[in-house]
Amino acid sequence: MRTSDIFSYAFSAIRLRKLRAGLTTLGVVIGIAAIVALLSLGQGFQDAITAQFQKGFATNTLIVSPRGLQGESSYQLFVNDTKTIEGIQSVTSAVPILQKTVYAKVGERTFLVNVAGVNFSQYINVFSSTFVAQDGSILSNPENESLVIGARIHDPWQNGTTVANVGDSVVINWTIVGADFKRENKTYTGQVVAVLGEVGGFSLGGPSDLGIYIPIQWAEHFFSSSEVNSIIVQLKDSEDSTIEATSDAIRSAFGGQVSVTSSTAVLSTIETIFSVIELFLAGIAGISLLVAGIGIMNIMIVSLMERTREIGILKALGMKGRTVLLIFLGEAIIIGLLGAAIGIGLGLGLAEVVARVGFAAMGQSTGGAGIRRGAAVNQSMSLTISPVLTPSVFVGAFTFGLLVSVVFALYPAWRASKLKPVDALRYE
Amino acid sequence: MTTVVEAIGLKKTYMLGKVPVEALRGINLKVEKGDFVAILGPSGSGKSTLLNMFGALDKPTVGKILIEGIDVSTLNDNQLADLRRNVGFVFQFFNLIPRLSARENVELAMSIAGAGKNDRRKQAEQLLETVGLKDRMGHKPSELSGGEQQRVAIARALANDPKFLIMDEPTGNIDSKTAADIVELIKRLNEEHEATIILVTHDARMAAKAKRTVQMLDGAIVRELRN
Repeated sequence: MRTSDIFSYAFSAIRLRKLRAGLTTLGVVIGIAAIVALLSLGQGFQDAITAQFQKGFATNTLIVSPRGLQGESSYQLFVNDTKTIEGIQSVTSAVPILQKTVYAKVGERTFLVNVAGVNFSQYINVFSSTFVAQDGSILSNPENESLVIGARIHDPWQNGTTVANVGDSVVINWTIVGADFKRENKTYTGQVVAVLGEVGGFSLGGPSDLGIYIPIQWAEHFFSSSEVNSIIVQLKDSEDSTIEATSDAIRSAFGGQVSVTSSTAVLSTIETIFSVIELFLAGIAGISLLVAGIGIMNIMIVSLMERTREIGILKALGMKGRTVLLIFLGEAIIIGLLGAAIGIGLGLGLAEVVARVGFAAMGQSTGGAGIRRGAAVNQSMSLTISPVLTPSVFVGAFTFGLLVSVVFALYPAWRASKLKPVDALRYE
Repeated sequence: MTTVVEAIGLKKTYMLGKVPVEALRGINLKVEKGDFVAILGPSGSGKSTLLNMFGALDKPTVGKILIEGIDVSTLNDNQLADLRRNVGFVFQFFNLIPRLSARENVELAMSIAGAGKNDRRKQAEQLLETVGLKDRMGHKPSELSGGEQQRVAIARALANDPKFLIMDEPTGNIDSKTAADIVELIKRLNEEHEATIILVTHDARMAAKAKRTVQMLDGAIVRELRN
């Protein structure tokens, strides 16, 4: 029997039981849609984070920070430690970042924000794509009272209702807790000289939409401290060997008390984490596809019993067992292909909806709350995610959908092919 | 005359639960080309079992079935399937595929044999015309009367230009008036188209048209007549 005839016969059998075939296909659709939605969202999320990361942190930079979590470490880095780092070969500059979480009175409102003391000219050098004034200008020799504010300080609700513009003053309140637990409140007033363009996402050591930047000398004076949170190190190139050698050199220069993070290392960590998460999610989605496979098998066995007589007729007409097998598999292939095709489309649509509605809502809530409460973490979740369907996910989803359908149809198909014509014809 | 199909010392034993049932107890029968054999006998006499053997649907326990000289028992399942394409089956309950139209049912037999679409269609239309269903080709079995369904089944049996036709009570499920037409059709196939026919029947009119009648009882041939 010709292949096209086998398929058209299989198709005529499917068409006869539209509802049943539709429900069976739905199982495959759901499984494939779940896999595609999760993987394409995951991929989109990863791409967005990677892009953000690369935007905010060039590959030829390293971050040096004291070992362990902030506050827990007894080791401290100071502004003048940059001299040590700058002495290392292949380092072009070292930018100290002195960062505190403070209350800042901006116009009528008070926000809990991060204030970072940086050397403006050096900082611009390292973060040339993100530390850019959208409004005003960032001078390389700023006056002490200069403030550079992030886009979300300028316009917290992203709707044009600005609270701070160039020329406005911002009052920063800072409480020093002394050794004797005496509190000393300090207030400083600065002038906004520049508003940064929207950075989005999160940045590692780089400018944030929720950050306020002040000249480092002022920060040292104001916070009465020259202890820095981290030092951004710029290298002369981004070769893996340079990154590694310099990282080792910096670590040993501080007696192993600092951790050195390179963007490539963080990126590869992010990718590893994502691939594990994706695998896990795809695994869960895969289970639903297995359930769909069992559904196919179930329906095929029922269909086998109903069609026993038909199989007897086909065999009496001279159909080979192999062809009977192919007809049953053909039905599974049609269901699998249809299910995979619809599933991929539905999955992408679903991912798109989740990306637009879900992540947008998430960005709103965390971003909004971040200003008032938790800007301590120098990141916001206002990432724009567009689901990405990689060719491998596309092909994989198709193959998997087809494979599951065929594998679970094998047993009923095999049983059909082994029916004895005399018995099958006598079957009521 | 060439022998189309031959049974030699044919025995068939079924297990009905744990009780062995001897359906055939040593049948010897030779069917020549152009022959028209009617097998008669009460139910349970082994007629259908014998017919299944002739159609290569079943294998004997003892003895041989030779179809055009080939011993059926030596063939594997695939070879048996190939062989069945050379045998035209007509069943008492028509056994048409309900979802296919009359023409498609006839075409199905040809598509199983690997025929192409155009050949199939032409041949099917011609055959349906031969059996007198020219105007009903596009109808599904459920839209056809019993007699018409059996005509479709006969057309289907003829589809692959078979060596011989096997009919299991072809008029057994049709009213007597229509049955007379079917009898005439079968007779005409034998006379005009020189089709070799082996059939099982309870219908005296049908038996009267056959060239030979074989009377069976309890798995054995008890009488043979040549009309």
